[in-house]
Amino acid sequence: MAQYLPVVTLLALAVLFAALSFVASRLLAPRNPTAAKSAPYECGIVPSREPPERFPVRFYLVAMIFIVFDIEIIFLYPYAVISGELGAFGLVEMIVFVVAVFASFVFLIANGALDWGPSRRLRRVDPRVSAERTTATTVRRVGLDGREEAA
Amino acid sequence: MVGLLAQAGEAARLDTPEVEWTALAPVLVMIGGAVLLMVVAALAPRGSRVGWHAIVTIAVAVAAIATVVPQWNRVGDDGPFSVVAGSVGVDRFSLFLTVVICASVVIATLFTDGYLRREGLEGAEPYVLMLLSASGGLIMASANDLIVMFLGLEILSIAVYVLAGMHLRRVRSGEAAIKYFVLGAFSSAFFLYGVAMVYGATGSTNLVEVADFLARNTLADSGLLVAGFALLLVGFGFKVAAVPFHSWTPDVYQGSPTPIVSYMASGVKAAGFAGLLRVFVVTFGDYRLDWQPIVYWVAVLSLLVGAVLAVVQTDVKRAMAYSSINHAGFILMGVQAASDRGVSAALFYLAAYTFMVAGTFGVLTVVGRRGDGHHQLSDYAGLGRREPLLALALVVFLLAQAGTPLTSGFLAKFYVIDAAIESRSFWLALVAMLSAVISAFLYLRIILAMYGSSDDAETADGAAATAGPRLRVPAAAGIALVIAVVATIGIGLVPDPLSETARDATPELVASGD
Amino acid sequence: MTAAALASEGGASAGGFPLLTSCVVLPAVGALATALVSRRRPESSRLVATIFAVATAALTVAVLVAFESGEAGFQMVERATWIRDLDVSWHLGVDGISVFLVVLTGVLFPLAMLGAPPHHDDKPFHAWLLLLEAGCIGVFLALDLFLFFVMFEIVLVPMYFLISGWGYANRRYAAMKFFLYTAFGSAFMLVGLVATAVLHARGTGGDLTFDLVTIASDQGAIAPVTARWLFLAFAIAFAIKVPLFPVHTWLPDAHTEAPTAGSVILAGVMLKLGTYGFLRFGLYLFPEASAYFAPLLVTLGVIGILYGAVVATMQKDLKRLVAYSSVAHLGFIALGTFSLTTQGLQGSVLQMVNHGISTGALFLLVGMIYERRHTRQIAELRGLQKAAPVMAGVFTVVMLSSIGLPGLNGFVGEFLILLGSFLTRRWWAVVGAIGVILASLYLLWAYQRVFHGEPDEANAGFAEMRVREGLVMAPLVALIVFLGVYPKPVLDRIQPSVEALVAHVEDHSDYTEPPVATEGQRARSAAPAEEGGD
Repeated sequence: MAQYLPVVTLLALAVLFAALSFVASRLLAPRNPTAAKSAPYECGIVPSREPPERFPVRFYLVAMIFIVFDIEIIFLYPYAVISGELGAFGLVEMIVFVVAVFASFVFLIANGALDWGPSRRLRRVDPRVSAERTTATTVRRVGLDGREEAA
Repeated sequence: MVGLLAQAGEAARLDTPEVEWTALAPVLVMIGGAVLLMVVAALAPRGSRVGWHAIVTIAVAVAAIATVVPQWNRVGDDGPFSVVAGSVGVDRFSLFLTVVICASVVIATLFTDGYLRREGLEGAEPYVLMLLSASGGLIMASANDLIVMFLGLEILSIAVYVLAGMHLRRVRSGEAAIKYFVLGAFSSAFFLYGVAMVYGATGSTNLVEVADFLARNTLADSGLLVAGFALLLVGFGFKVAAVPFHSWTPDVYQGSPTPIVSYMASGVKAAGFAGLLRVFVVTFGDYRLDWQPIVYWVAVLSLLVGAVLAVVQTDVKRAMAYSSINHAGFILMGVQAASDRGVSAALFYLAAYTFMVAGTFGVLTVVGRRGDGHHQLSDYAGLGRREPLLALALVVFLLAQAGTPLTSGFLAKFYVIDAAIESRSFWLALVAMLSAVISAFLYLRIILAMYGSSDDAETADGAAATAGPRLRVPAAAGIALVIAVVATIGIGLVPDPLSETARDATPELVASGD
Repeated sequence: MTAAALASEGGASAGGFPLLTSCVVLPAVGALATALVSRRRPESSRLVATIFAVATAALTVAVLVAFESGEAGFQMVERATWIRDLDVSWHLGVDGISVFLVVLTGVLFPLAMLGAPPHHDDKPFHAWLLLLEAGCIGVFLALDLFLFFVMFEIVLVPMYFLISGWGYANRRYAAMKFFLYTAFGSAFMLVGLVATAVLHARGTGGDLTFDLVTIASDQGAIAPVTARWLFLAFAIAFAIKVPLFPVHTWLPDAHTEAPTAGSVILAGVMLKLGTYGFLRFGLYLFPEASAYFAPLLVTLGVIGILYGAVVATMQKDLKRLVAYSSVAHLGFIALGTFSLTTQGLQGSVLQMVNHGISTGALFLLVGMIYERRHTRQIAELRGLQKAAPVMAGVFTVVMLSSIGLPGLNGFVGEFLILLGSFLTRRWWAVVGAIGVILASLYLLWAYQRVFHGEPDEANAGFAEMRVREGLVMAPLVALIVFLGVYPKPVLDRIQPSVEALVAHVEDHSDYTEPPVATEGQRARSAAPAEEGGD
């Protein structure tokens, strides 16, 4: 078990450090809270209005697609280095991998993941819903939907 | 070009495994079909009237079944073999479950088509996810390595998490998906821990090597191994919905889209048991005295908790979720027996249960009506008069689940009881049969509700019973129900083909040839 | 006569026309045919069902005709493999114990069908009834544990639907209670049955088999202590079905709430599944355990006799009264069965048939009264004798048969049972005999209240028995009188099988039949007919 000793020591130190920090700040720091300071995202400035409108979810979508391709590249680099040694097996594996990523990319494009604008190609529009529905109304609808059912 | 590249790397060739693609054909067909369907559906114009998504899905699943046939014969001629450096085994056990899982995909797909139209959710995604999930199940069925098993488990599970939340406009569907995902991720972590422990105890994750190690060595301190058993059991127990890892089942079954539940209760369960049987009965067979008691009690708890809690439900879908826990208990009896007889009994049960439960949830799909919300017992009042054929189909499925003779359910129960008694678990057999009586109460309650006449004061909405809404049974769902009824009664009358196939389908671990 | 005779599979018509299979299959086909008749033509569904029921009755009578008296073993044996894997076969055979039960089933079904037509949904009613008949005949003929269980279980489904679909006010509760009670018993039996087969295979070192004859003739393959446990597992199922005293509570509810035809079949045929099971799967399969547990079962039987009689006396509802009288009568049958004497067994087999006829007829009559008055309360009925003398006459004959009046069939059976049990269980027989007196008390008292006196306004217009009803009752009354006066042909056919069964029990346990029994046996077989006319 001796070889685990450093780990245990480090663990103990980590816990100790965290605990000490909390205790120290509680003991040493001056405390005179004001309303502005205890507000969320406190930075001393009283917020003049509600946080601005929602963040378009497409940012996340793009970020996620980016990550997928990022990972593809990460896999391609090491393959390129030892492609010779891996031989045919490696080639087939990489083709399978690349095809899988490409197929999902096609799927994303076709479903408008990269269409940046008003929901031009909104999929599966429910005929019961009017064309001029907005994000806000949709959110309300969905919320109500559930509550009606639950009741 | 491949040859050229191969030559170029001749100098310092890494040790790469031979891949025998034909042996992987079922999995490849399923995954390839899923990817193809996804791409084509994305590029094709939307709003087609014909349900070609479903047709393609069925074609893919049937093709996967077709690839099993030559392999079945090959295993018969040359014996089981393993491929991809011994990480995937092909034996009749895996081929049998491949067929079972693919069949459950076919039936669930037939129900899904009508469901998606009714709910206005048309799209290829559910089918793609179902195919992918099933391919995970196939990997689990043929995995010869704990890591591959885990990969299969994850492929299976993640797709099902999404499928559970497929109904975008139902809050309960989302709730089911989140619940299933969070708890499922937990159980996967347990499973992975178990793999690590077994690796720690035996020095390998390959099932052949693990079994070999356990056969040749006696562990002075088996604590680590037993802890591994326990954690693996948690992982599998979660997937097959065995008590005490069942708490997700009622909520998820109730919330998920009903045709998806039919897949969950048949295909996912079959995959879970595939892993359980191969890992515990075959690989850890020498240590059965360590794990049998655990499985014994898990089975007892599943049988009793499933039956008792099913009876007190008023929501039929939820009640069926509990009844599926009860059935998991029955199949666990086959696992607990830890014998060839037990394995073939469990396989028989899984095959028979697939049709029964898929059919049951198929009827529930239709009765659920638009919104998939009409699952109260009172929604079944007078169904026998309004929809005599649909009601009759449900009666067949329910009686089969109750274990009435001349249905597949009876023989399924008979075989597991036989296996349990063979391994001298008399009390377990008795508990199982008593739990079957308890759950028969539930099935009878539903039947009573369907056939109660309208003048009955006991039916809450007796007047509404005869005047209830006319249900539309989509053609595809009708076909699936006919298949399921024919299979349920057919297996009950002539069990020999299935039972002999199940007996042949014993799992074997074979080391890789190289 | 040795036990080997029981196992011998001599057959009159082996290889010929599969008579027994037809008896099982024909009603099942009839059920299917009835179900396929158009829903808009209830008359034709009824016609089809009746034709099939009558044809089945004819087949069962043909079985009786083809049956060779003097043979102890199973006759007309038919065997075909069903499930190779488990060595389960479609193995049918008939012996002196089962042949009359088969005929009883065949005769009672068409009579119940004609005598008590349903008020609605003719088609499913008749289809279920025919399916029930197939199952009942199957139980009596099955010579395979698995097949027996399948038939034993399958009868639950049609009966459940009959009670819950066409019964009286409290039918759902009664149907559920009936199903769950019996299924509870069956759970024990299934486990016992599988264990029997598995342990037998292990004991002999052979393959797994569910064949009754094979397992029963390999006594000793299963250790005696284990066999006792297995016997108990079977006994629980049969005791519930019979029903014996502590587990009888489903019976009054089911009988009272079931439609008339259902009650007739329940009392006439389905209760016999339990008593027959005791003979075939108790005494024959586990002779040692049967002898070991005989005191317990005899005691339960005697308690049933007294309890059933006392509770019947207290009933206000005519149908419930008849139902409780069944508990008493079935107690007699249990007493006779576990007296383990030739007379006792002979008497119980005969009494099974007698009870089927007389109680079936009683339920039909009660059904007719209910049809006319829409009440079964004894207090609301009065003076029916004035309004309907013929019906009162028929009722009297049937009731006296149920009481056990000499000259009618009930007496022969009860006398033999008491005779047989007196040899081995003297005091039980003495107590049981009190039951005979109590039977006359509750039945005569009920008759007096219902039929005697001046009819009040409500009962004055009570309609006389119609021709159709008379035709249904006539064969039953004829059988009651015939069996009472001349039971010899029946007893002759029952006797060899019963003697072989007693010998089988003697061979495989420390029990020996008291010599008086065999003495009396010889004396009696010289002039068996005198019993009845006595």
